[in-house]
Amino acid sequence: MVVEAKAVNVETLVEVKNCTMVFPGVKALDNVDFTLLAGECHGLVGENGAGKSTLSKCIIGDNRMTEGELYIQGNKIHIPSFNVRKSQEMGIAIVHQEFQLMGDLNGLENIFIGRYTKRGPLIDWKELQKEGEALLEYLQCDVDLKVKVKHLRTAEKQIIQLAKAMLDNPKVIIFDELTSVLQEDGIENIFRIIRLLKEKGIGIIYISHRLDEIFECCDRYTVLCDGKWINSGYVKDIDKPELIKMIIGRELKNVYPPKNEEFGETLLEVKNLTAHDGSFRDVSLSVRAGEVVGISGLLGAGKTELIHAIYGNYKTTSGDVFVRGKQVEIKSPQHAIKLGLGVIPDERRLLGLNMLFNIQDNTTLPSMFMFKKWKIFQNHRAEEKAAFDINDKLKLRYVSLSQLISKLSGGNQQKVVIAKWMLRNCDLFLLDEPTRGIDIGAKFEIYSLINELAKAGKGIVLVSPELEEIIGLSNKVYVMYEGKVMDTVEGDDINQEVIIQDLLGVKEA
Amino acid sequence: MSTKVLGGDERLFKKDYKAFFKEWMILFLFIALFIICSIALPKFRTTNNIMNIFRQASFISIIALGEFFVILIGHMDMSITSIIGMTSIFFAGMVVNAGIPMFWAIVIVFALSIFVGIVNGVLTIYGNMPSFIGTLTVMNIIKGIYFIYSRGLPISGLPDAFNFFGAGYVGFVPFPVILLLIVAIILYVFTQHTELGRSFYAVGGNRVASKLSGINTNFIGILAFVICAVLSCIGALGLTSKTLSGNVSIGENLLFDVMTIVVLGGTSLTGGRGKVFGVIIGALFLQVISNVMVLLSINSYWQWVVKGLILIVVVLIDANSKHD
Repeated sequence: MVVEAKAVNVETLVEVKNCTMVFPGVKALDNVDFTLLAGECHGLVGENGAGKSTLSKCIIGDNRMTEGELYIQGNKIHIPSFNVRKSQEMGIAIVHQEFQLMGDLNGLENIFIGRYTKRGPLIDWKELQKEGEALLEYLQCDVDLKVKVKHLRTAEKQIIQLAKAMLDNPKVIIFDELTSVLQEDGIENIFRIIRLLKEKGIGIIYISHRLDEIFECCDRYTVLCDGKWINSGYVKDIDKPELIKMIIGRELKNVYPPKNEEFGETLLEVKNLTAHDGSFRDVSLSVRAGEVVGISGLLGAGKTELIHAIYGNYKTTSGDVFVRGKQVEIKSPQHAIKLGLGVIPDERRLLGLNMLFNIQDNTTLPSMFMFKKWKIFQNHRAEEKAAFDINDKLKLRYVSLSQLISKLSGGNQQKVVIAKWMLRNCDLFLLDEPTRGIDIGAKFEIYSLINELAKAGKGIVLVSPELEEIIGLSNKVYVMYEGKVMDTVEGDDINQEVIIQDLLGVKEA
Repeated sequence: MSTKVLGGDERLFKKDYKAFFKEWMILFLFIALFIICSIALPKFRTTNNIMNIFRQASFISIIALGEFFVILIGHMDMSITSIIGMTSIFFAGMVVNAGIPMFWAIVIVFALSIFVGIVNGVLTIYGNMPSFIGTLTVMNIIKGIYFIYSRGLPISGLPDAFNFFGAGYVGFVPFPVILLLIVAIILYVFTQHTELGRSFYAVGGNRVASKLSGINTNFIGILAFVICAVLSCIGALGLTSKTLSGNVSIGENLLFDVMTIVVLGGTSLTGGRGKVFGVIIGALFLQVISNVMVLLSINSYWQWVVKGLILIVVVLIDANSKHD
């Protein structure tokens, strides 16, 4: 009711009418309408490639719409001469998920870079410090501005980015998947800031893959699918299944397939493993064939380091590792692979794939030795067939195996990373945030893939910042807090409340 | 059956043609240059002159192919000029001054080159030294050593038989050209059709991802420097054989040409992209330019200016075409 009452006499900040955006050969936006009111948070949702970022780029002037009209605070914009600088002047700001910060400069410099307050030719640091603190006070956040940005936590970096965006006194702020790299507590803080900004009459366009967040912080939503406007409305009028249906254009039952309950031998056992830098200490865990073992924890809990340590890519000082009951000392990824381990790292583009390679070469990279002619030469035909078969099994959407991997969408790229370890016949999959930055449809495909792997008797270690994912997929969950395993939850005990308590280190005595 | 059209995104096909053209741009440019020169300059199109171009391009091609491997993994080897000088002076020294049989002298210079390659590799890969600085330092150290040994003077008097290596003919084809062809075919098969060879592209494209995929990235890194040193050594023996004397300054001005050739051949300076035959075309391209300038009796200093301009253009193209 409150929202509707507002809507009557509230200023329209942004209005997009019949927007069509054509890139050579592709219609990225097709007759899309969008309005943003002052003081509202408007969720923009859709799968990857649905046109969310294209639309936001049209609004900030990074893209020039091919057809359609744009109004900012009631003023009609002359599209051909519109650009990012002009949109900034008109009070539109954008905050990206990727950090556009300089790691070696401190927070203060990052906020004010390029627009220092000067006294004569010199930078007036005292004045800047005051202004910076005022900005943080406005956001009601506490970040040390004198620390080099690279030493800040992810959540704190986001605050710096936000503070930088606030510098122009914007009327509209676009949050572009800001929370996808944040953990629960960081997200809460962003929500708090959004509420604060809304009270001050600022309009917010909120782009996120996490639908729960839309329900938690948005007033209205707009769904895009394949560049077309699907629906807009009040968030309070719909529920999650309805929203999902709109986003992917079909109904989705059983987001998480039934868990596999048949376990085989213990594939991996880790006892009291401690990292050389203490990023995790005294960690013990075990994985059986057919089992999905979830590892949950906030950022900095040591999850990724643990995965890499098991994989022989992170130094440990003490602890024992057993693979199929045999004690081993895994010294390198090569060694780990020989023992049947495969890793799907969190940074797909940086760690998982060779972006200069095509689909086929990426798929066969760890298993090239399996396709030899006369023991020395590569049998490209056999490689091609194997890559085709495995990617076909994973329902990879592609044009040709010789297509560069960079041309695939995030979800399809992730499938290739998984395909390469399936081709290598791995027994134990170490998955580090396998659905990061992947749209909903592809996420579900990855979930059923994980499930199928478990059913085929593979062991799976799953690290994810999304609790729901961990709860929906795992047979057993280890909860880490600041490098230590706080709790192990199994079977029916796996639920949100228990894990959140452990996550925050609040353990009942 | 490898193509599977879903959604039929036409852009992808168009881009592939474009990519093909871009990948082999140097070949098309070379053909164009060759045709223009043949038409415009009667002196150019004689069999003798063309064989000369191939002969002169062959040893520098072999050296450039060595540098190609280092650049392919995203590093740079500045020490090749010293490896060439070292090979030349020590080989001649051993044969002429110490009377060591030629076969053993060759074995020893190869062993020395491999050692230098390993040092370059260890400094860069294990020592995390920027390869530019690491190999530059090694270059100066080696240079110092062979200048101490030779006092900067050439050592002449190698046996005439050795002349065949750099100046001999098989039928009407110069021996260096045959040697280059053999080296090129081996390296082509190695880079395209063996696991080890493909690994260089993987490491150059993404070192960490390759490591996580089970490739021994350290070994590949060191091997690249060793291959570079060995091919430089072969090139040096060829250049030495032409004059039958060991000479400290034999490799002095080669580094710039080698870099130009490798980049001209379509090798990406950031690693992960490049082709063996591209490098050879690059060498021929540069050789044709020098040849034409000589035929037109242009002052040879102009070659530096022209080659410099070519390198600028090529690197500019390379640096600005990364983003697709």
